[in-house]
Amino acid sequence: MNELSASSRITYRAVMVRPGVTRRIRGLSDRALAWLFITPTIVLLLAINIFPLLWTIYLSFTNYRANRSNVPTIWLGADWYQSILTDPDIWAAMQVTAHFVIWTVVIETVLGFGLAYLIDKKFRGHGMWTTIILLPMMLSPAVVGNFWTFLYQPQIGLFNYVVAFFTGRAASSFQMLGDVTLSPWAIVIVDAWMWTPYVMLICLAGLRSIPDYIYEAAEVDRASKWRQFWSITLPMALPFIMLAVLFRGIENFKMFDMVNLLTGGGPGSTTEVASITLKRAAFESWRTGYSSAFAIILFVTVFGLANIYVKALNKVKSR
Amino acid sequence: MSVDVTPSIARGGLVDRLLRRGPLEAVATTIIAAGVVMLMQPFLLTLYSWSFATTLFGTVMFTIVSKVRE
Amino acid sequence: MTSATSAHSVVEPTATTRRFAGSLVVLYAIITMIPLVWIMLTAFKSPDDAISYPPKVLFKPSLEGFCNLFTTRSRQTPEFIRSLGPPQGMCDEIARSRNMVVAGPSNYVPRFVNSLIIAFGSTVLAVALGTLSAYGFSRFRVPLKDDLLFFILSTRMMPPIAVAIPIYLMYRTIGLSDTRLGMILLYTSVNVSLAVWLLKGFIDEIPREYEEAAMIDGYTRFQAFVKVVLPQATTGIAATAIFCLIFAWNEYAFAVLLTSGNAQTAPPFIPIIIGEGGQDWPAVAAGTTLFLIPIVVFTVLLRKHLLRGITFGAVRK
Repeated sequence: MNELSASSRITYRAVMVRPGVTRRIRGLSDRALAWLFITPTIVLLLAINIFPLLWTIYLSFTNYRANRSNVPTIWLGADWYQSILTDPDIWAAMQVTAHFVIWTVVIETVLGFGLAYLIDKKFRGHGMWTTIILLPMMLSPAVVGNFWTFLYQPQIGLFNYVVAFFTGRAASSFQMLGDVTLSPWAIVIVDAWMWTPYVMLICLAGLRSIPDYIYEAAEVDRASKWRQFWSITLPMALPFIMLAVLFRGIENFKMFDMVNLLTGGGPGSTTEVASITLKRAAFESWRTGYSSAFAIILFVTVFGLANIYVKALNKVKSR
Repeated sequence: MSVDVTPSIARGGLVDRLLRRGPLEAVATTIIAAGVVMLMQPFLLTLYSWSFATTLFGTVMFTIVSKVRE
Repeated sequence: MTSATSAHSVVEPTATTRRFAGSLVVLYAIITMIPLVWIMLTAFKSPDDAISYPPKVLFKPSLEGFCNLFTTRSRQTPEFIRSLGPPQGMCDEIARSRNMVVAGPSNYVPRFVNSLIIAFGSTVLAVALGTLSAYGFSRFRVPLKDDLLFFILSTRMMPPIAVAIPIYLMYRTIGLSDTRLGMILLYTSVNVSLAVWLLKGFIDEIPREYEEAAMIDGYTRFQAFVKVVLPQATTGIAATAIFCLIFAWNEYAFAVLLTSGNAQTAPPFIPIIIGEGGQDWPAVAAGTTLFLIPIVVFTVLLRKHLLRGITFGAVRK
C-alpha cells in the first residue's frame, strides 16, 4: 500500500503543475462534484426502484389486471388490504413462512456459532477448511434448489439413500418433497445447508473482536471456562449474532428462488411461503391490484426490519 | 444513524429524558417487532389483521424518531 | 482444560482442544461438500448410472451428460441411422448408440452467453456508479447523508417478487421486457447499493492526506480522485466487482419472471432441461457444474473479503 502511494505521488508531481486555485472556488467545485458523483446512482434507483414502488402503491388501491389492460381501472380504496388481512389462506401462508424462518434461523445460528467457536481455536489448516465450508452460500439458490430435488428423489436420491442406510428404512418409503409433513423440513434442511456458513462467518468476526486481555483477566480471577463462555464470549459476540439473525430472518422472510424450484409451494400449499403466494397471485392469476397490496404488506414488513438491521449494523461498526 | 453514546442525563427532567432518541427508538423497534410477530403468529386472526397497521406505525415512528433530537 | 505449558499465553487453546475442534470442523466440511461433489460426479455419469440404486460412487465416466446439454437430438429408426454416413464427432456417436441423431445445438450456450453479458454489463455499471457515489459520500458533506445511505441500502432489501410486479408493467410499456438491456439496468440497480456501501468502507480507509497533498500540488479534486484515490482503491473495487458479478450470475427471481427467450439467463434455464421421460439428470448436473465452477473460483479469490461483502462493509476483520 505504502509503495503504491509513494509511486503515485511521484507520478502526479511529474505531471501536474498548475497555478493555485482559491479556496472558495475549490469549495464550490467540491460541492458540485459531490452531487455530480451521487446523482447518477440516485437517479437510477429512483427510476428502477422508487418509481415502480409508488406505482405499486397506486395499483394496490385499484382493480387493475395486467392481462386485461383494456378494462377500465376502478379505484377500490383499501379493499384489497382488508381482504388480504382477513383471509385465512394468506394467514396460513404467513405461518408457513414463520415455520421456515424460525427453524432455519435457529438451526443456522446454533450450527454457525458452534462452528465459529471451533474454528476460533485456530487449529492447523483452519483457513482452508473455512473457505471450503463457505462455498455453499456463494452458489445460486435456484441451482441449489434444483439439484437438491435430485438428492431428494425417493428412488434414486442420495439423501434418501443415506437416511435409509442409517435408519434401516427403505429409501423409497418416504418422499421428502411429496409428503405434507416432511416437505416443510426439506426446505429447512437445504436452507440450513446453504446459509449456516453465513452465520458462521459473522460469528467468527464477533469472536475475533473479543480482546485477549479480557480472557487473561478472567484467568487471573480463576473464572471457569464455562463461566468465561457465558459471561464474556457470548455477551460480547451477541451484537454480531443479532446481525446475522436479523439478516437471515429478513432474507428468509422473502425467500423465493430456492423454495420455488424445490417444491414450488407444494404439496398442496404446505411449503407455500409468502413470496410464492405472491408470485401465484401476480404472475399466474394476474390479480395485479390484489398482489400489489400484498407486495406492499411484505415490503413494509421488510422495510421495518431493515431499519432494525441498519441499527444493528451501526452497533457492530462502532466496535 | 450513528449510535448515541454520550450519557448526558444529568440535565433535564424526566419528560425530556424519555423523549430522547434512544428510548423512543427502542419503543419503535419493539412496535415493529410486535407487528412482525403478529403477522406470523398462528393463534389469533384479529392480531394478524392488525399486524400491518402495527408494523407501518412502528416503521413511520422509527423514521421520524431517528431524525429528532440527536 | 487449563493450559499446562507456561510458554503459551493463558488464552491459547491446548493441542488437544485444537485437534478436537479441528476434527469436528473437518467433519462438517466433508459432509457439507457431499451434495456438491455428488452433483459434479453425476455430470460424468451415463443416464443409467445416474439413476441406479444404490447410488453408484464408482462408475465408468461418460460425457453423455455434456453432449445432451449442448445438443438437441431426435429419435430415428435404426434403418435410417444406418443409411447416414459415419457419425460426426463424439456426441453423434453416443446419440446413435441410443437410436438418435443430433438435430442441432441446444439453448444452453445462448443462455450462458446471456448470463455472461448481463452479469458483466451490470457489474461494470454498478461498480462505476458505486465508486463515484462512495467517494462522494466518503469525502464530502452531503445533506441527509445517513438517510440517503439507508435509502440506497433499503432498495436492496426489497422482496424481489414485490419489485418484479411494477418492473414487469414498466418494461412492458417502454419495450424493455425480455431484453438484455432491461436485465442489465435492473441488476445494476440492485447491485449499486451493495457497491456504494462496500466501496464507501474501502475509500474511508484511504487517508485523506494523500488527496490533500495532491491538491496542494495543484491537482483539482477530480484529478486527485482519478490519480490518487482510484489506484489506492483497486483491491476494494475488484472485491466489490466480484460480489456484484456473483449476485448477477446467481439471480433467479427476476430472470424467471421477466425474461422468456431472448434475454433468459442460465439459472431459469438449467431446471427445465428435460430428456425423454422426465429430467435428464446427467445433463442438468453438467449444466450445473459448468455454471458453478466460476463461482467456486471467485469464492477462493474473494475469501479475505467475504465478511465485508456480506455485511455491506460494516464488519471488516
